[in-house]
Amino acid sequence: MRTSLTRKVALAFGLAALAVLLLMSFFAPENLSTPTALIGGEKGPLEVPPFGTDERGIPLLEYAMQGASIVTLPSLVSGAVVMLLATVAGLVRCAGLTWVDSVIQFGSELVGSLPRLVVVLVVALVLPVDWKTLLPIGITWALLAAPGAMDEAAATAGRLGGERFVEALRAHGFSGVRIYLYHVVWMNLRPVIVRQGAEVTMQVVFLEIALSYLALRRNEPSFTHSAAEFSWATLLYQGYTALLGSPLLHSLFTGLGLVALTAGMAQALRVAARAR
Amino acid sequence: MVRVIAALLLPIAVPAVLTAVLWALPGHPAEIVCPPGICDGSEALAERWNLHKGPWHFFSNWLAQAVQGEFGNSWRAQPGVPVAELLLQSLPQTTQLLVLSMVPLIVGSVAAALGWLPKRLDPLWQAIGLVPAVILALFCAAQVQIEYGAMSHEGWPAMLRLLLGALVLGVADSALSGAITGTRGVFEAELRQRYIQIALLRGETPLSNALPNVLPALIGQFRARALHIMSGTVVVEVVLGISGLGELLFDGTLMQDFGVVLAAAWAFSLLSAALLLLQGLLEVMVALWVRWAPSGVVEPAEVAP
Repeated sequence: MRTSLTRKVALAFGLAALAVLLLMSFFAPENLSTPTALIGGEKGPLEVPPFGTDERGIPLLEYAMQGASIVTLPSLVSGAVVMLLATVAGLVRCAGLTWVDSVIQFGSELVGSLPRLVVVLVVALVLPVDWKTLLPIGITWALLAAPGAMDEAAATAGRLGGERFVEALRAHGFSGVRIYLYHVVWMNLRPVIVRQGAEVTMQVVFLEIALSYLALRRNEPSFTHSAAEFSWATLLYQGYTALLGSPLLHSLFTGLGLVALTAGMAQALRVAARAR
Repeated sequence: MVRVIAALLLPIAVPAVLTAVLWALPGHPAEIVCPPGICDGSEALAERWNLHKGPWHFFSNWLAQAVQGEFGNSWRAQPGVPVAELLLQSLPQTTQLLVLSMVPLIVGSVAAALGWLPKRLDPLWQAIGLVPAVILALFCAAQVQIEYGAMSHEGWPAMLRLLLGALVLGVADSALSGAITGTRGVFEAELRQRYIQIALLRGETPLSNALPNVLPALIGQFRARALHIMSGTVVVEVVLGISGLGELLFDGTLMQDFGVVLAAAWAFSLLSAALLLLQGLLEVMVALWVRWAPSGVVEPAEVAP
């Protein structure tokens, strides 16, 4: 009873957090407001709700919304890619396609041996200028994260009995669609698939923040978005200057809040999909 | 065997995949390597990088030169400086960072295996693990800058940057929590086995009996974490100002310095291949240890009738 309630609350929180991200992304301004000051224009959250402004008088809400528009769609697509691949690996194990299973395992060993961020940076280097957005980088990350997810999904399907499980259900007269989609995927693989998808979604958001933050430290444009857009990393960078003494502590809290929202969403969805 | 093959293939796979991508993408490879907005003279560039005679020519030449330690000169990140020199300068820093960052993981794993860390603390480690490395590194960098200044890259401040970087890598992105819960999970599953209960009845310790059997799984987990940490070095090195391989790779990517990026990525693939080989070697050693029966086991022939 209590577990069921926990799952429902977690699902509600996860979906609410996702809705907030989608709304911020949907209503994000194309360009930031015109600065009202060159320096010293910062205002706290009480003066300019909900987050205050930066030193140029630009509301932090606009940074938050633009950042959401950069990360939301690519991170969700990346999560979906991992979920799809993990589902395929689980189904392959249940279908008893041993040679496909072996190919997946060897591929997983090879792909899983590469440090992900290194590959992401190499991909960012060779991407044509027009393609330098978070989406291809996020999908690369998802493909690199997929071996782990596929391995876990296949192991879960294996523990279920693999081929014998499917045979047993066929003996009960269930159709293939019902067996694979309902019994295997929905009833048994769901916790693994949702958790892996949610984690990769969160990781891609954090990846964008990290790459943009590193580019900001070098005073260079990031390869995850255009130079006219601002990521959540800008808030954290302003927060970093606050740690060194500038009056922008509210930027730091806004940036950390957005990171916590993303992490909270992923954790909530993971808990909501937990096995009974 | 699979690990050895993967380890041998990895340093070949990295330039091979990059070559395939360069030729698969629309446009001339030389223009992808350095877009026209940044570089002039695509033909000269193509010739310089052996891009003018097709993918096989580029791949085989690059690999043959890389094996001899010849990577050419950096042309944008640190113009004119030999890339091999940059790699040699940065490799020790990254290696130190990697080794130091394993310390919290080893301590956490040992404590979890010995039961020193209560299970109820797991949510705490997991909550800490949710913090991305970039944020922890940001706080550490600010602390170093406040204490010693932005340009403090020698002596104790440099060592402090290294130690804090290792701590960040060892704790952030679920590294420590994964080590604790992963090790505990493996041990708990093994300790439920029947042979452990029999060993207990014989007056033996469960740890000494379970250890040889759980070591292959633990070694696998550690390699995965080492790889994860290796990936994180890019973030930590740039934020904390540690001149390592990760910083070199990031600067190369940002400055569109193809030679530096390919060489740094190859160096990372060599490190990764070394980890794979080490895992394989340790697994063989554990298998041999298990095969040489533990001392004190009485052979059936020696039992008195």
